[in-house]
Amino acid sequence: MKKILEIKNLTKYYGKTLGVKNLSLELNKGEIFGFIGPNGAGKSTTIRSIMNLINKTAGEVYFEGQRLEKDNINQKQKIGYLPSEIHLYDDMTVKELLDYHETFYHPKPHDKRCELVKRLNVDETKKIEELSLGNLKKVGIILAFMHSPKLLILDEATSGLDPVMQEEFYKLLKEEQEKGTTIFYSTHILNEVSKICDRVGIIKDGHLLKIEKIEELKDKELTFVTIISKEIDKLEKELKITPLEKTKDMIKIKNTLEINSLIKILGKYKIEKLFIEKATLEEVFLHYYK
Amino acid sequence: MLKRELKVNFKSFLIWFLLIIGIFSVVFLIYPSIASSENIKMMDEMLKIFPEEILAAFNMDISSLDSAFGWLKSEGFVFILLLTSCYAGIVGSNIILKEENDKTIEYLTSLPITRTKIVLTKTLVGLIYIISLILGIGIFNYIALSLSGDFNQKQFLLLSITPVLPSIVIYFLCMLISTFTHKSKKMLGMTLGIVFGSYILYMLSTIAEETEFLKYISVFTLADIRNVIKNTTINPAMLGISLILSILLFCITIIHYNKKELV
Repeated sequence: MKKILEIKNLTKYYGKTLGVKNLSLELNKGEIFGFIGPNGAGKSTTIRSIMNLINKTAGEVYFEGQRLEKDNINQKQKIGYLPSEIHLYDDMTVKELLDYHETFYHPKPHDKRCELVKRLNVDETKKIEELSLGNLKKVGIILAFMHSPKLLILDEATSGLDPVMQEEFYKLLKEEQEKGTTIFYSTHILNEVSKICDRVGIIKDGHLLKIEKIEELKDKELTFVTIISKEIDKLEKELKITPLEKTKDMIKIKNTLEINSLIKILGKYKIEKLFIEKATLEEVFLHYYK
Repeated sequence: MLKRELKVNFKSFLIWFLLIIGIFSVVFLIYPSIASSENIKMMDEMLKIFPEEILAAFNMDISSLDSAFGWLKSEGFVFILLLTSCYAGIVGSNIILKEENDKTIEYLTSLPITRTKIVLTKTLVGLIYIISLILGIGIFNYIALSLSGDFNQKQFLLLSITPVLPSIVIYFLCMLISTFTHKSKKMLGMTLGIVFGSYILYMLSTIAEETEFLKYISVFTLADIRNVIKNTTINPAMLGISLILSILLFCITIIHYNKKELV
């Protein structure tokens, strides 16, 4: 599969503080790549490094096989970027801003702009400073999408959008994907990753912990075990697992043991009730977060 | 982008222009009655009491307050020099930095445009407005002086041009300094400090021989007003130095801005 974006050993320190370390990943043409992690994990640092807004301490970013340079106009024309917090020119109306945006692209992407304005129900007569967070986000989406980029870099794209508009946005993403657009999708919302992404990268404390296909992640054997027994304390000691929940005669654990070993241990005690649940995808993500 | 930048910076240009024109209008309106009264001769006599060095600091040793043009040569052009330099410094410190201060830089740099082009376009707009301000003031003063009597037109023309030299250097200097910060707030005090600090150094350099060396570290030396008043000519060396300094400061600005972390 053709690689669109390649990040090689990206490292960024802010003084002595680590942003990201040795982060490497590849995005294939036409895929939606979810990029998730808790606050301060290094998501925005990674995106800002890709966009050349900050200087990398080490590492390289390649776009369509060529080093992504901050001043390469041809490359920039093929990238659409939606930052998590959008700051636009407050003195302009939406129409003026979109007209201004069009002037940077040849040919002017006027038709796509009109289509997106209609689809996202944006009032072009409003001033940017008058827009609500959701409407500002919609304008940001139009700006990122209107020139039909080959690579879309979206950071917290749905924050501020109402549920109906979120659904419309997911549809839009899928349509772009079908046209062959590659999408780098950074988010906090775990269920949107399972809904729209093909693969996911999980980042924590500046380190990329895992890259996996969503389908494979769903099949992960992460289980939660709830045990009710009068001998709960002894059982807990033998399991050597910190319980997620505990009462006088109940514990809930995230099972990291091989299933037969677990059964062997449980067999030694008088168990009153036993529940084994398969973790949801969100719980699998959280497992990596913690 | 050029059109947008011209539009964004027009309001502040207009405010500065009207403010300066307003001040000079008042002077030109009341000056005929001052100049025709006996008081002005008394004032000229009184000025003779002052030490020559102090008079030299305000060009009063080589001009007289007995006409509007005389006032312009002594005090008027000092005001123009200081005000246009303040304007140039403020424009220089804000024109690039504003995008970072307003956080719109993330949007602007995501567009297919190079950082060098961003700086070039903004620099050009700043220059257009600084020169327009100086030109506008010059035209206004010319009309006002024409209505108030005869004056040395060549000398006036050259004096009207001189603020361009220190203003442009201050503009580029403040622009360069602005690339070392992310917040506009920090820059206003620094800009005014540069302008007034530099003017104080220039004044001190005219007071005594021991302090004459200070002229080498003041941008206002480049205006060379005394030479223009005395010899009705602009020293080409000042033009050359202003040009070289401006180009140098501009090149460093571009180099530094291209390496700058913008968020």
